[in-house]
Amino acid sequence: MTRLAKSSSAIVMALLIGALGTASVHADRNRARTSVNRSKSVKVDSNRRTNVDIDRNRDINIDRDRDINIDRDRDVDIDIDRDRDIDVDIDRYGCCYHSGWGTAAAITTALVVGSVVNTLPPNCTTVVVNGFAYRQCGSTWYQPQFYGSRTTYLVVNSPR
Amino acid sequence: MKQTKHFGAALAVTMALVAPAWAQSPAPAKPAKDPAAIAALDSMAAYLRTLKAFQVESATTTDEVLSNGQQVTYSAKTMILAEMPSKLFATVSSDRNERTYVYDGKNFTLVARRVGYYATVPAPATLRELDDVLSEKYGIEIPLADLFRWGGPNWSNADITAAADAGPGEVDGVTCQHYLFRQEGSDWQIWIQKGAYPLPRKLVITTTSDPARPQHSAVFKWNLAPSYNAEAFTFTPSANVSRIPMAEAK
Repeated sequence: MTRLAKSSSAIVMALLIGALGTASVHADRNRARTSVNRSKSVKVDSNRRTNVDIDRNRDINIDRDRDINIDRDRDVDIDIDRDRDIDVDIDRYGCCYHSGWGTAAAITTALVVGSVVNTLPPNCTTVVVNGFAYRQCGSTWYQPQFYGSRTTYLVVNSPR
Repeated sequence: MKQTKHFGAALAVTMALVAPAWAQSPAPAKPAKDPAAIAALDSMAAYLRTLKAFQVESATTTDEVLSNGQQVTYSAKTMILAEMPSKLFATVSSDRNERTYVYDGKNFTLVARRVGYYATVPAPATLRELDDVLSEKYGIEIPLADLFRWGGPNWSNADITAAADAGPGEVDGVTCQHYLFRQEGSDWQIWIQKGAYPLPRKLVITTTSDPARPQHSAVFKWNLAPSYNAEAFTFTPSANVSRIPMAEAK
């Protein structure tokens, strides 16, 4: 595939995921200043925020998978606590939270390295390489990162 | 010269009738910056900087603006524990996520406990410099940052273009004086506790650089004698969290 065709298909994929990923079609354009003494206002990157429910969807979709698939070798107490946290969150927000803003789309095709997504597909495992955590979902590797105080996932080449 | 006299009288009466609007000397204009309001802000800032350590709980709301101009208001509960000038432990629990901020004067760590990630970066030596670096380089806002910026080095009220006293107001049962300030990009209102402890009790910031004029509001509960030890500002990752990088804002 030529480079142009690859990046075009990546753009199409990103647009498709963006469109499927949320019932809200509007990206954020701005946020209220929270300080009168900072010299610059902190921008919201509207290109990133196509899905309003970033962390909470991730809590619901991903940690459950992580518990089932990955944490067998980990301390059982951790699994119990994580499930309890997730259940509490769903009880608190589940009913009304999804109905307005939609849910994340399932991403079933590998994305181009360098693209950023807000939510992961199901069935990912956590792999720690050189002290940093990565998520492996099928053949695609993601590096979780903080972008501002949000968590996002950068598609990367396999780190090992 | 009867005619002239009458004419003169008529003229005088006419003048008296039309004069009031413009012949009186105008009332002295209020200065754009009421010096008493500026003085109150300075006094509050100076008092804040006498506090060696403080803990504040705050209920906040923050507007975000969608691309169609519609506003979405998110709420959060925030707690900050600060030891001036270079230690912080803060937690934010918002409609969207939970975050913990830890700073010991050398490193800064952001923790997303529920999703299981944390990031650590080297940090400058003071809270004010940390807030500058985090907001400019990483797009991260330390919650309630004005509480440790007011009255500090590099702070001045010179950016303020208008200041006014809006009268008394009550916040959480505490009598305050309510002031209005304007500066480029924001109009803000502050309620300062009356009496010997001029603490900010409520802050409302309206961003004027966006036509939607999104607002941020914060109500503060103060603990001026927090109990804590040095470990509060040290981050030790538990087994539940893994390290990730902090991306630089573009």
